[in-house]
Amino acid sequence: MTQATNLQPASSPIVASVIGCTRRYPGVLALDNATFQVAAGEVRALLGKNGAGKSTLIRMLTGAEIPDSGSVSINGAELSHAGSGRAQESFEKGVRVVYQELSLVPGMTLAENLFLGRWPRKGGVIQYAEMEAAAAEAMGRLGLDLPPNRLVAGLSPAERQLLEIARVLVGKPTIVILDEPTSSLAAAEAEKVMAAVTRIASEGIAVIYVSHRMNEIRQIAHSATVMRDGRIIDTVDVKGADTREIVRLMLGSEASQAAALENTGSDKVVLEVRDLALAPKLNSVSFALRKGEVLGIAGLLGSGRTELLQSIAGVRRFDAGQLLVDGATVKPGRYKEMLRRGFGYTPESRKEEGIVPLLGVDENTLSTNFSGVSKTGVLSSRMMAEATRRVIDRLHIKAARTDTPIGTLSGGNQQKVVIGRWVYANSRILLLDEPTRGVDVEAKAQIYAIIRQLAAEGRSVIFVSSEIEELPLVCDRVLVLRDGTLQDEFISPNIDQDAVMAACISGH
Amino acid sequence: MSLEQTAKPSSKSKSSKSGFGLSQHMNELSLFVAIIVLYVVFTSSANGFLSFNNQINILRDAATIGIAAWAATLIIIAGEIDVSVGPMVAFISVVLAFFLQWGAPTPLAFALAIVVGALLGSIAGALRAYCDVPSFVATLGLWSALRGTALFVTDALPVSIGRNDMLDALDRSLFGVPPAAIIMLVLFAAFAFISRKTAFGRSVFAIGGNAHAAFLSGISVSKIRVALFAIAGAMAAISGILLVSRLGSGNATAATGLEFDVIAAVVVGGTSLSGGRGSMLGTLLGVLVITLIGNGLVLLGINPFFQQVVRGLIIVIAVLANIQAIKRSMSRNKG
Repeated sequence: MTQATNLQPASSPIVASVIGCTRRYPGVLALDNATFQVAAGEVRALLGKNGAGKSTLIRMLTGAEIPDSGSVSINGAELSHAGSGRAQESFEKGVRVVYQELSLVPGMTLAENLFLGRWPRKGGVIQYAEMEAAAAEAMGRLGLDLPPNRLVAGLSPAERQLLEIARVLVGKPTIVILDEPTSSLAAAEAEKVMAAVTRIASEGIAVIYVSHRMNEIRQIAHSATVMRDGRIIDTVDVKGADTREIVRLMLGSEASQAAALENTGSDKVVLEVRDLALAPKLNSVSFALRKGEVLGIAGLLGSGRTELLQSIAGVRRFDAGQLLVDGATVKPGRYKEMLRRGFGYTPESRKEEGIVPLLGVDENTLSTNFSGVSKTGVLSSRMMAEATRRVIDRLHIKAARTDTPIGTLSGGNQQKVVIGRWVYANSRILLLDEPTRGVDVEAKAQIYAIIRQLAAEGRSVIFVSSEIEELPLVCDRVLVLRDGTLQDEFISPNIDQDAVMAACISGH
Repeated sequence: MSLEQTAKPSSKSKSSKSGFGLSQHMNELSLFVAIIVLYVVFTSSANGFLSFNNQINILRDAATIGIAAWAATLIIIAGEIDVSVGPMVAFISVVLAFFLQWGAPTPLAFALAIVVGALLGSIAGALRAYCDVPSFVATLGLWSALRGTALFVTDALPVSIGRNDMLDALDRSLFGVPPAAIIMLVLFAAFAFISRKTAFGRSVFAIGGNAHAAFLSGISVSKIRVALFAIAGAMAAISGILLVSRLGSGNATAATGLEFDVIAAVVVGGTSLSGGRGSMLGTLLGVLVITLIGNGLVLLGINPFFQQVVRGLIIVIAVLANIQAIKRSMSRNKG
C-alpha cells in the first residue's frame, strides 16, 4: 500500500550533514570518521547491528554529543554550541527524534499530549478549542483520524506510535529520526506507521528510519546506509540490493570461526512447546529442547522473543498451545511451579527486573533458595558466605566480598550473579533473555564459557539473543523467530551468521 | 544496607575497610549524637528531666511508639506504609475489654486480641498484595473504620474491666522497670534478629529494593506482604493490651495520632520511605528521639499547641540532617 516510487529528486537540498565525525569513548571508537548526509523529503534507512554506531550518529545530529573531530550541520548551518546548549540549538534547527520508549501520559487527552508542556495559553488558561483544532490538523497529516479529546489510555500501540510522530510534527521539523518505530507492533499495525512516514517525507521533511525489517525498508526507504564498527560502510539503493548483500555489509567479512562445539546434547527431551500462541506477538511456535542442549533463539527487537521466553517461564500467560516438561503438560502462567520443576529465568532488563541493587551479591544469589543456607530457619552467615563464594568462584564474578552490594558491580558481573542464582538453585532448564546485553567483551566470553559448562553438566539452556555473531559461539542449534513464528533452524557447526541475520530481517 | 554502601567502590585497602563500617553506621551515629544533645539541653533547662521517675516515664512512652514502630520499620523497608496504628490500638483495647467483660479467661482474651489484630492487619495486606490497592489507602480505610467502630460501639466511653490481677501485674514495675519497656526491648531483639537473620527478613529488604527482581528469584512477594501487615496488626494489639493494663479500661479515643509518631520515629531512624533500606537499630534511636522531644517539651511547660509545632520542626530537621550526613559520606567515598 505504501509504495515509495518517487526517489527524491537529485536537486533536493541537503538538510543535515555529518562530516568526518569521530567520537571516542573510553575503550571504544563509537564513531570513526563518519560522513553522512540526508536531503529534504528523503527517507533514509539506517542499518547496523548493536554497537555499530547508529545511536552515536543520531546523538551527533541531535546535539546530545559533541564530536571529537568533524562537524555537524543542519540546514547548512554548523552546530556551534560546545556545551549543553547544543541539543537546544539542534532542536531549534528542526531535528526531532521519536524514541522506542513511548513518552505519552496515558491519563491525558491526545491534544494535551501533543502539546505536552507547551499548551497554548491565554492568561494562564489553556485554550482547548484552539489546541484541539491544531491537534486534529497534526494528526490528520499522518492519517490518524481520532477525536483529539480522547484519552491516550485507550489507544492501540500503533496509534500511540503515530501520536508520538505527530507530536514531533507540531513544531515543523526539518528532519525526523525514527528509532525502530515498528519494533513493538504487529505487521498490520506497522503498515499504518509506514504510511505516516511516507506522508511526512512527501511534505519535504527528511526522515532517518532506524530499522532492521527489510520488508519495511524496501517499502518506504529510498536508500539505506549501513554502519559497522563506528564507520559508515556504504549507502545502497535498497530496491536493487539483495538482503544477503546488506547482511554482508552489516556483519563484515570476518570469517565466522565457529569452532565446532562439543556436542553435549542428548536425545532426552526436557521441554516441548507445541503451537504456543500469544496474540498479537506469537502465533503457533513449536519446538523441543533436549537435555544438555543450548538452544539459541534469534530475532529482532519486537520479534516476540521475550514474550516466548516469558510464556515458557510462566511469567506471562499464553493464549493457546501446550507446554510439556518431561512429557507432562504444565498450565500457563505458573511461574512458581516452573521454578519447582527446575526452571530458572533471567530477564532482559537486568537493572529493572534482575537485581536488588542495595543488597549484597550473597543475598542476590541466595534469594532463590534461602533455606539452603539456613539452620532451623535461621540464616547462617558462614553458610551464606560459603555458598556465595562457590558461585563467585565458579562464575568468575569480580566482587571484593560476598556481601558487596551488587549495584556497585559492573554490568557483566551483575549478569553473572543473575545467572549464578539459578546455578545455586540447581536449576536444570535455564531461560536466558539477552544475557550478554550491556556486557563487556571479556565478560561476554566468560558467560559463553559458563553456558557451555552448564550444558556439559546436563543442563539445558535457551539462549535468546539479538547479537547474531554470538550464536555460533554458544548454541548447538538456533531457531529464528520473525513476526511471531519460527522461520528457520540452523544446527551447529552450520550456523552461518549471514544466513541467520538474513532470516531475521527478511521474509523469504 | 545503607545507601552509602552503594557508593563504596569494591576496594580492598585496609583503611577503606574500617571506613566502610563507619560510614555504614553514619546514620546511627548521628542519631546517637542527637540523643545526647537532647539529654544535655533538657537536663539543663527542664526541672526533673533526669529524675528516675521521669526516665521510667520516657521508657514507658517509648514502649507505646516502639512496639508498633518495629513492625512499621519492616513495612516501610518493604516499600509500604501503615497509617492504621492508632485506631488499631484503641480498637483492640475495646475488644479486649469486651472479651474480659464477657468472662473470657485473661490469657485467652489476650490471645484472641492478638489474633483479631493480625486478622485486621492481614485484610489491609491482602488488599495490597492481591488487589493492588495502595497500602496507604488500604490502611487509611482501616484507620477510619476501626476508630469509627470503636467509638460507635462504646459511645466514646471507657469500657471498664473491673479487677484483673494479670493486667495489674502488666502495669507493675519490675525492679523499677515497667513491663511495657521490657516487652518493647524483647520485641526489638526479635525484630532485629528477624530482619537480619531470617529468609523472611531478607526477603522484605529484597522486595523493597526491587519487588520485580524479588518475584523473579522466587520470593513469595504477595504472601510476605500479607504477613507484614498481619504482624503490624499483632504488634498494635500488644500495644492495645498494654494500654488496657495502664488505663484499666478499653478506650476508643486512646492513641490518637500514634501512627504519625510511629512513622516519624522510623523515618528519623533513617529508614527510606521509598523502601529497600533501613535498620531496626535506627528505629530504636528514632523512637528515643521522638519520645525525648515529647517528654522534654511537656516538662518545659511549653504550650501544648505550640509543642506540636516544635515537634514537627525537630522531626523535619532531624531527617534533613540525616540526609545531608549520608550525602556527605557518599561523596567522600566517591572521591
